[in-house]
Amino acid sequence: MKMKKFINNPETLVQELLEGYVLAYPHKVKLAGNNLVVRAVPKGLGKVGIVTLGGSGHEPGLSGFVGMGMLDVSVPGEIFAAPGSPRCLEAIKLADHGAGVLFVVLNHPGDVLSANITMELAKKQGLNVKHILTQEDIASGPREKPEERRGLVGFLPVYKVAGAAAEEGQSLDEVKAIAERLALNMRTLSVAARTATHPSTGLELSPLGEDEMEIGAGQHGESSSGRMKLKGADETAEIMLNRLLEDLEVRSGEELLVIVNGMGSTTLMELFIIFRRVSQLLAARGIRLARSLAGEYITAQEQAGFQLFIARMDRELLRLWDAPCDTPYFVVR
Amino acid sequence: MSTRIGKGEFVAMMAGAIERVRNGSPFLSELDSACGDGDHGLTMRRAMGLLEKALAEKEEESLSALIDRLAWTLLGVDGGATGPLFGSFFMGMAEGVGGQNELDCAAFASAFEAGLASVQRQTKAQVGDKTMIDALVPAVKALRAGADAGKTLADSLRDATEAAWNGAASTKNLTARFGKAKFAAERTLGHQDPGATSVAMIFEGFCEGIIKTA
Repeated sequence: MKMKKFINNPETLVQELLEGYVLAYPHKVKLAGNNLVVRAVPKGLGKVGIVTLGGSGHEPGLSGFVGMGMLDVSVPGEIFAAPGSPRCLEAIKLADHGAGVLFVVLNHPGDVLSANITMELAKKQGLNVKHILTQEDIASGPREKPEERRGLVGFLPVYKVAGAAAEEGQSLDEVKAIAERLALNMRTLSVAARTATHPSTGLELSPLGEDEMEIGAGQHGESSSGRMKLKGADETAEIMLNRLLEDLEVRSGEELLVIVNGMGSTTLMELFIIFRRVSQLLAARGIRLARSLAGEYITAQEQAGFQLFIARMDRELLRLWDAPCDTPYFVVR
Repeated sequence: MSTRIGKGEFVAMMAGAIERVRNGSPFLSELDSACGDGDHGLTMRRAMGLLEKALAEKEEESLSALIDRLAWTLLGVDGGATGPLFGSFFMGMAEGVGGQNELDCAAFASAFEAGLASVQRQTKAQVGDKTMIDALVPAVKALRAGADAGKTLADSLRDATEAAWNGAASTKNLTARFGKAKFAAERTLGHQDPGATSVAMIFEGFCEGIIKTA
C-alpha cells in the first residue's frame, strides 16, 4: 500500500521537519551548530545544562521539550536512528554554562552506543558531563536486568525534574541524583494496535493482524511476545496497570504521577477513556493520583496504541514537577 | 610491494576499501532487507563518500592524526551502529599507531588489535552473535598470525580477507542477538549478516589497495 504522508523528499525530511519546528516556535527554540535544537534564550551562567539525543520521527519527542526548565539542547538523529557522537559532543559543549552537563539517554542500543562513545570523547577532552539512562519499559527485560529495559515516555518527567533542579542552581551531582531517584521509581508499559511505517522507506515495522494488539511493543513495535486478541479500553488498562503496579511494588497510600501517552494515531478520546479506568483502579486500591497527563509526548508515526507510565513521587519530586517550565510542548506556569 | 605501511600505503588501502564497499553496497542492502531495516548499503555508501572527502583533504599530519580524522568522520555518519562501531575501530587504531609513521607487519597487526579492542569496549557482542564481530575477530587474528609467521603485509592481508569472508559466511547459520535485528531473531537465520559482510569487503579492499602500491 502506498504511504499516505505529506512529505517532500525522504532525503531531506529530517532537515525540513527541524526547520519547520523552530519556525513554528521562534520565541522558544532555534537551530544551532550542526542541526542541534537549542533554547532561543540560553540558560544563565553557573547552571547545569541538560542535553539529550534520539532519533527523529517521534515528534514532539524529544526536541519538543527544549526550553526553560527542561532541556538546553536536543540532538536529533535521522528517522528512528541515533545521532553520531560528534554532534552530541558539540551539544554538550554548547550546554555547558560553567556548571557541567547532565546527558539524558533513553536506553536503546543505538542511542547508548553513541552516548558511550560521546562520554569517552568528552572525558578525553576534559568536559564536565555525567550521563543517566532511562530504562523503564517493563516489557523489554526483567526487573533484575535494567540494562535490557528500554526508555519510553519516562524521559519527559526526567527532563522535567532534572531541568527544574538545574534552574534552581543545584550542582551537577545533585541534578543527577534527583534524575536518578525518579528514574529508579518509574515504569512504563506500551501497547500497539497497529504499527508504524518508516517515513523514508514506507516499510511497515513488525505488522500486526487486523484483530490483534501487542502489549509491550515498545517505541517502534520491536518485540513480539505480548500479542493477543484486541481488547476493550477498560480491560487493556487493567492488564497494563496491574503489571506496572506489581513491578514497581506500589502500596496503598503512595502517590503516583501517571501519564497516558498516545503513539500517533490513537485519539485523545481513547486516551481519556483509558485514563478514566486507570484512575478508578488506583482509587479502588487506595493509591493517590498525585499528578497526571494525557496526550502525545512521544509518538511513532501512525502507530496506534499508547504508553502507560507511572512514577512513585515524593515531596521533592512533586515540587520539581510543579516548578515552572516553558517549552513548545510542555508548559508549567 | 611495500613492506611497511606509511601514510601513502594507508591512503591506498582506504581507496581500495572505498571502491570495494561501493561496488558491494547493493548486496549489503539486500542482506539488510532480510533482517534489518534495509539501509545498511546506503549507510555504507554514505560513509564511503564522507571518507573519500576526508582523504581528499590532504593535510600535513601524522599517520595517527590521519586515522583519527577518519575516525571522527565515521562517528558522524548517522544511521544505526555502523558509523559508531567503525569509528571506534579507527579511533582505537589511531591510538595503537601512536607516534609511529611507518608500520611493519607486527606493528600493523597491533594497530588493528587496538582497533578491535576499542570496538569491543562499545559492544558486548562476541563471535557467534551474528554481528560485524564475527568477521572482525578472525581477520585481526589472521593479521597477527601472519606477522608472527613472518609473512608479507600483502599475504597477511590476504589471509585476513579470507578469514573475514569465512566469518561473514558463518553468520548465515546464526540468529541475531544484538542490534535491531535481534527483534527479528529467528527470521535472520539463513541470512548472512550485513555488518560482517561489510567488514569482509573492507579487508578485501585493503588487500587490493596494498597490492596496487607494488
